[in-house]
Amino acid sequence: MISMNGEFIAFFLLSVMAIAGAVFMINFTRVVHMILALAFTFLGIAGIFVTLNAEFLAVVQVLIYTGAVSILMLFGIMLTRHRDETRDGGRPWHAFLCFLGVGGFFALLMRIIYGSPFNGETAKTETFSVSGLGESVFKQYVIPFEVTSILLLVALVGAIILAKKERS
Amino acid sequence: MSAMTFLGPVVLLLLVLGFVTIAILFERKVLGWMQGRVGPVQVGPWGLLQTVADVLKLLLKEDIIPGKADRILFKIAPVIAFVPAFAVLAVIPYTDRIVFADIGVGLLYFIAISSITTIGILVGGWSSNNKYALLGAMRSAAQMISYEIPLVMSVVGVIMAAGSLNLTEIVKAQESLWFILPQLIGFVVFFVASLAELNRTPFDLPEAESELVAGYHVEYTGFRFAFFMLAEYVYVFAMAGLTTVLYLGGWNPLFGWTFLPPIVWFAAKFLLIVFILFWIRATLPRIRLDQLMQLGWKVLLPLALVNIFLSALFKEVSGIGNFF
Repeated sequence: MISMNGEFIAFFLLSVMAIAGAVFMINFTRVVHMILALAFTFLGIAGIFVTLNAEFLAVVQVLIYTGAVSILMLFGIMLTRHRDETRDGGRPWHAFLCFLGVGGFFALLMRIIYGSPFNGETAKTETFSVSGLGESVFKQYVIPFEVTSILLLVALVGAIILAKKERS
Repeated sequence: MSAMTFLGPVVLLLLVLGFVTIAILFERKVLGWMQGRVGPVQVGPWGLLQTVADVLKLLLKEDIIPGKADRILFKIAPVIAFVPAFAVLAVIPYTDRIVFADIGVGLLYFIAISSITTIGILVGGWSSNNKYALLGAMRSAAQMISYEIPLVMSVVGVIMAAGSLNLTEIVKAQESLWFILPQLIGFVVFFVASLAELNRTPFDLPEAESELVAGYHVEYTGFRFAFFMLAEYVYVFAMAGLTTVLYLGGWNPLFGWTFLPPIVWFAAKFLLIVFILFWIRATLPRIRLDQLMQLGWKVLLPLALVNIFLSALFKEVSGIGNFF
């Protein structure tokens, strides 16, 4: 049984915040409103990271997603089609089919989640520290880390080359 | 949970409001003296009540929302801009005992939360449905994104020297030598980038009166406008506090003069930074938009990277390695 302690209340509020942001994101008609709802979801998820003692992850979530990604999206939309609204397609059977598909997918996911047991022990998150994270990333997993960074660099250079080609 | 958990932030809010009131008057006085004027003198003795009168006037003004504006966003934009400004003050250690939230990633928290204000500015500019407001908001967002990178890169040197992201630990690492000396390049980059983040002269392009009327808050009146101004000055408070903590040794005394309490040392360094901000405003002209981007990407970012490289290099040299 779930006890009503502060952690549960915080988790409840933050998850409602994250889910509400996502629902609003889908239901709003103006693109700018959608992005704000999305930023709200990102904040909620950052809050959930805090309740899991992953402070570093939470702060990076705010820095990258709420700060950078949302602002870049807003920036792009305001510069291009900032009066745009999405309209209903007017196809009721379409919505029904979508509902069936999504419902089926949800049932499948829930079945898999509840059917598979968690292996291994739960980590002690209370003693987690940023220096510990740094040591495991830069000592134990340094090769995957460097490969990932090179991959991102290649993607960045590729994006610049593609953008340059379009202009000329 | 003690009573201070709830009372402390309220006291801090009142202190910050008091600081903003005095800071605006001080800024106008300093600007006046530097330009051979006297500044405000009419309201109260020595013009002391000028800001109070201005705020009262703003409160009494009619609250106008433009007809074609996006009403909901127009109303919440000042809130989105102000809340992060106050939230970042939680992690600044004023002395070794006066600190509200001593979290492990304090420095990153400050930088992350302060970037949310940009959303408030963008939304305010967009929802006003005015081309000057939109242009101001665009400039502000572009500027904040491009100067956040050198700002973060310049503090990496401090993080390497202190070995921690916790602001209290960073201050404690400066007991023998303040980071402004070994991290001089980092300090210069940090200070210039923080000026740009604060939207202050010479980087006040988002509010350039002569080209944009007033920038993103041109359609705002009354108390909503006051909130944008308040957010800006609270950021002055926060940024001066952060500069003190990162580079000027926080509450650590100079020359071992411990007869002054730590909070006085903190306040003295903090006020020095605030004065330098006003001094720069009185001295430097505004730079152009293309110069702004060139300075950010071609000068400050490489300098910050060089600073990281040098810090890592000097850390391994015996003798001076202790200071880096």
